[in-house]
Amino acid sequence: MPLVAGIDCGTGFTKAVIIASEPHATARIVGRGRAKSGVDSNLAASNALRSALQHACIAHEDLAYVATTGFGRYGVSFRDIQITEITSAARGAHFLCPETKTILDIGSQTTRAVASDHGKVKAFKSNDKCAAGSGMFITRAAKYLEVPLEQVGELSLHATRPQPISSICAVLAESEIINHVSLGVSVEDILRGIHDSLAERAGMLLKRVGMGDSVTFIGGVAQQAGIVRALQEKLKVKVTVPDGCEYACALGASLLGLHRYSAVHSVTKVGTVA
Amino acid sequence: MRITAGVDVGSTQTKAVLLRENGDMKIIARALVDTGANVQKAADRAFRACCSDAGIDPREVGYVVGTGYGRYNISFGHSQMTEISCHAKGARFLCPGTRTVIDMGGQDAKAISVGENGEVLDFVMNDKCAAGTGRFLANAAEVMGISLDEIGPLSLQATRPVKIATVCTVFVESDILSYVAQGKKAEDILGGVHLAIAKRTLSLARRVNIEAVVTMTGGVARNTGMVKALETVLGSSIQVGADAHFMGAVGAALFAMEKLGQSFESTVWEGAHAASRRD
Repeated sequence: MPLVAGIDCGTGFTKAVIIASEPHATARIVGRGRAKSGVDSNLAASNALRSALQHACIAHEDLAYVATTGFGRYGVSFRDIQITEITSAARGAHFLCPETKTILDIGSQTTRAVASDHGKVKAFKSNDKCAAGSGMFITRAAKYLEVPLEQVGELSLHATRPQPISSICAVLAESEIINHVSLGVSVEDILRGIHDSLAERAGMLLKRVGMGDSVTFIGGVAQQAGIVRALQEKLKVKVTVPDGCEYACALGASLLGLHRYSAVHSVTKVGTVA
Repeated sequence: MRITAGVDVGSTQTKAVLLRENGDMKIIARALVDTGANVQKAADRAFRACCSDAGIDPREVGYVVGTGYGRYNISFGHSQMTEISCHAKGARFLCPGTRTVIDMGGQDAKAISVGENGEVLDFVMNDKCAAGTGRFLANAAEVMGISLDEIGPLSLQATRPVKIATVCTVFVESDILSYVAQGKKAEDILGGVHLAIAKRTLSLARRVNIEAVVTMTGGVARNTGMVKALETVLGSSIQVGADAHFMGAVGAALFAMEKLGQSFESTVWEGAHAASRRD
């Protein structure tokens, strides 16, 4: 029963997932943990993993294999393999929602749209040049509006007259927000405007990879109810947010790591010859 | 003797100047205030600060032209002009012979192509991204924990500028932090940041025809590191007048002077031009 860890070194947070696998059975999540990413990916990965290990009640030595993914994946010294976040996202989303054809992943500094088939990547688009449409847009706005990030999603649902934010740039949008505040627009309406703006931006990426009739929404931002509603209304598609959406990439990495581990140790450990 | 005012309400700072025409043309007062949320109030404050600085009654000012702030047009003074026209006008007046204006302000970056007679031929501006603006530099300074006034001079001391792959204000924060973690010198990080922005701004500017004389205006012109980086990337020198920061307001005040009396246009204004051409 090998235990495999997947660590997603994101730009905002580092997430770790530990899975256990038994022959001829689906892998099972046994532990999850996260830590704030800093400049040192190795440290953040250790912290996230430690928290996942505690959650699973196991020791680091019990891990058979460690797969890393995300922005800081090369910075983790104790990794066995690194996998791109696109591949991980497709694999993780497929595990959580087997019907997945289109994935939207919005993280702290990244937004990605992935078209997939049975967990395999068919096409993808991401915002690699700028923070437009990423979680940072919301983080900065929340900071300015003095709203805790955890409340943003809920507040946005209570908007009555959403105020459009036209700027693409996360930095220039702040000035627009300041303007709205000075005109007395409610925090709820501003936040919903931001969610609408992000949804629009995400829609552009999704259309470029080919959007089906449903989207699996993963990444930290998917936890905000407001943006889920904005996406549903703007894109007119069913948006599914799986439980543990924030950990989807880490999970995908662990599954791919397990696959790799099984291939390498096929004779001795798993018992089936590849 | 005629006095006019130009008030340039920028996204970050509001600039006002008083211009006096009395045989010659002279800037007699300047004022700089933070714009804040109420643009009308900021414009008023800057204008009044100018008047009290010059020791004149606001009623003595014959004509006031307002400018600035692209999308959020203000209606201040007797009439308004776009900041494009005002920067071109101001640059031609203070840096005679100007054919290209590179304006880097608090939240915008523009390039203006000016004809031989000072007319605006073409312009481009960043409307989607904060790269190349003062905001970008302010952010970089904050991440580095260095004051905005110091980053330019520090960047000049770079010996091995780092590579900055993105010019997104948000992404550069992460880039800077990781370079700091790698133990790179502040000078080299800032050198890299300034070069990246210079490249970005000039690629914007190249969409208009860049012709000498190139004049830099806007608040970022006070950053010596930025001017040097632009010169390095452009491969030629850039004029920076003492009043670069006030250029939009100066241009507005010049337009105000024209509005005040058409007769002036044919006499003193032409004279000023002839004088400057001899320089």
